[in-house]
Amino acid sequence: MNVFLAQQADRIELPAIDYAAILPMLIILGAACIGVLFEAFLPKHQRWPGQVVLTLLAIAAAGVALGAYVGGSPAEGTTTLSGTLSIDRPALFLWGTLLALALGAVLLIADRSIEPGGAFVAQAGIAPGTVQDRAQVGSTGMQTEVFPLALFALGGMMAFCSANDLLTMFIALEVLSLPLYLMCGLARRRRLLSQEAAVKYFLLGAFASAFFLYGLALLYGYAGSVKLADIANATAGTDRSDTLLFAGLGLLMVGLLFKGSVGPFHTWTPDVYQGAPTPVTAFMAACTKVAAFGGMLRVLTVAFESTSWEWRGVLWGVAIVSMLIGAVLGLTQTDVKRMIAYSSIAHAGFLLIGTMALTEDGLSGTLFYLLAYGFTTLAAFGVISLVRDSTGEATHLSAWAGLAKRSPLLAAVFTFLLLALAGIPLTSGFVGKFVVFSAALSDGMAPLVVIALVFSAVAAFFYLRVVVLMYFSEPAADGPTVSVPGAFTTAAITLGVAVTLLLGVLPAFALDWAGAGGFAIS
Amino acid sequence: MTPTALFLAQAGADATVSTGEAISFWVLAPIAVAGALGMIFARNAVHSALWLVLTMLSLGMLYLIQQAPFLGFTQIIVYTGAIMMLFLFVLMMVGRESSDSVVEVLRGQRLAAAILGIGVAGVLAGALTRALADVTPAPPLDPWTPEGGAAGGLGRLIFSDYLFPFELTSALLITAAMGAMVLAFTDRHGKTGKRSQRELVEARFRGEYERPSPKPGPGVFATSNSVATPALLPDGSVAPESLSELIESTSAAKLSGERKQVAGDTPQPDAHSLTGSEEQSEERENS
Repeated sequence: MNVFLAQQADRIELPAIDYAAILPMLIILGAACIGVLFEAFLPKHQRWPGQVVLTLLAIAAAGVALGAYVGGSPAEGTTTLSGTLSIDRPALFLWGTLLALALGAVLLIADRSIEPGGAFVAQAGIAPGTVQDRAQVGSTGMQTEVFPLALFALGGMMAFCSANDLLTMFIALEVLSLPLYLMCGLARRRRLLSQEAAVKYFLLGAFASAFFLYGLALLYGYAGSVKLADIANATAGTDRSDTLLFAGLGLLMVGLLFKGSVGPFHTWTPDVYQGAPTPVTAFMAACTKVAAFGGMLRVLTVAFESTSWEWRGVLWGVAIVSMLIGAVLGLTQTDVKRMIAYSSIAHAGFLLIGTMALTEDGLSGTLFYLLAYGFTTLAAFGVISLVRDSTGEATHLSAWAGLAKRSPLLAAVFTFLLLALAGIPLTSGFVGKFVVFSAALSDGMAPLVVIALVFSAVAAFFYLRVVVLMYFSEPAADGPTVSVPGAFTTAAITLGVAVTLLLGVLPAFALDWAGAGGFAIS
Repeated sequence: MTPTALFLAQAGADATVSTGEAISFWVLAPIAVAGALGMIFARNAVHSALWLVLTMLSLGMLYLIQQAPFLGFTQIIVYTGAIMMLFLFVLMMVGRESSDSVVEVLRGQRLAAAILGIGVAGVLAGALTRALADVTPAPPLDPWTPEGGAAGGLGRLIFSDYLFPFELTSALLITAAMGAMVLAFTDRHGKTGKRSQRELVEARFRGEYERPSPKPGPGVFATSNSVATPALLPDGSVAPESLSELIESTSAAKLSGERKQVAGDTPQPDAHSLTGSEEQSEERENS
């Protein structure tokens, strides 16, 4: 060993860092660290205002930094930090989407007017159902750690979208998942359900991460590198073992499809969407899907484009299974949150069709779909958090009967959002489905598009069922009341509804932005 | 053990084994084997874990001797230090007295385990034979290059090619630490937390509780030691607070009977009688 120590190593050159390009992500992660310090040093009553201001400021600052960079960024994209991050047009679009969606989700998280103290428990360490737990029900405090956790998750998602090698991607996956596992278990009401959701999500998520890691290891064995570009080079005509390649790709995709709650890897979705506090569900449903599909698009396009002939058949099957499960099981649901969860599984199937296309249209269509779907879901969960009875949110469908008579505005907004999820014209959902399906058609996936159309018709049925229930049923005497939302929730729902309408009427500017350029291949 | 065997195989070719290395191998290798055997045959789970520690330590030493310092230290720090401690924590939590059940839960598990075990042994033996027979020795690695696999090369990679993932790991660690705190920390002395003894006494005398003193316990008499037996006040009357409210939900007839009996309203049996009450003797007759 002394021999080695005696050897003088030459200086290690730090990799070049394009700070302007990664500034939005650095702001978010830095603000998360400052939020942790706030938790440590601010007195209790100042934490909530401090965290809310910090979080909103950070997201706004990151948005400004992103806007400032987009103007002068190279059209073909750039890689930085010795190729671990690729800041190209799709990545910038996804970052913008994530920041806008996270803004809405943070507004929902910060709301304390619907429920005194917010949707989060005052002290998560107290066991549910104990004397101390009953004592804390009345307290108006909340676990303000939720804000830095949300920022960490957001930072992880941004890193995930732009990760240019599988190792960075894996660590970003963990950074985005770990805070979500935690936030799922912090609901103020129905705490056992919430904790069960957190444990389920954690265990299944850990399995999915293991799958991802195993796939990563096999692909490293195949290509001798974890960089996406090197894997692409290795697949382009070598005599290496195809077993390693496809086993690795399959395991990798299991991990990614799990995060996107696609098809047969969806089992966590309904339980977790139902159990998690509704603002967290909104955050998870909107942002995680964006991050997961962003990562999937990059992996498939950059690393595995030349082998698409081999794996596309499998993904066809996965997309069909996902749409089938989402549409058919969605029909049988009696809980609004579970219904939206199954709807998200069906939407994941539609998104996968666009992801598979691997054309410019497919990329821009999928990106647009993610943007449109994210805002619609965000607003939908915002509306769900308003319908309440004495035990908290009244999510059972029977409680929603005749809601239009109690609150015509809320029923109208929710109807609009459900129509957007169903894909009715003049909503963003229609445009999203249209661009994705037309991209798939032009890439020769006509049978899949027909199947997808059938399933979107089936799925439309259960959205319309809720609409009929709200408008044409008599309200129950002891039915829920509709809370008057505070400024934060109103802002979030308005944002979601406005974007859904805007993208439905004037989609051109967003489509242009989504189609501004491809992934940086290097 | 495979690296050792490999190394010995190379000895015949162009590498040489120094005396010191040979001595340390012949000291460490039997210890490692003894530890492995001890782990399998120890009856106590804690002993088993400690035997495994011995094996891992000797393997770590062997790695060090074979010029793989990073691997050696990782073996000792990560396996022996962290993972074995986790093992021991779990063993302590489960209880060190608890032993494995020998009931076969899965049908044919032992047969499958035996076949697979023989298979693994076969594969190992095959690999070892090949390693001892025809393997060309690799040149010594330069630990400062990434391919060398030593601390120097790894450090170089962490601070150059993988700088970003390495820095991103810190976000993961902060989240984990904060998560543990959120889930486990309760503010015991805050408003909603547990009261200290002094606060409790003051609250009692301020009238937040029914009475400042604890409630009287149930009565215990020669005839009964049931919690349903009320205590008697100095004047011989029943102290109603001595009975838990839960008792009310139990058989009311029996309870009132016992109350009467304790209050002395019922006809008493002879002092030397073995039976407690008429009820009991009736029950005996019925059965």
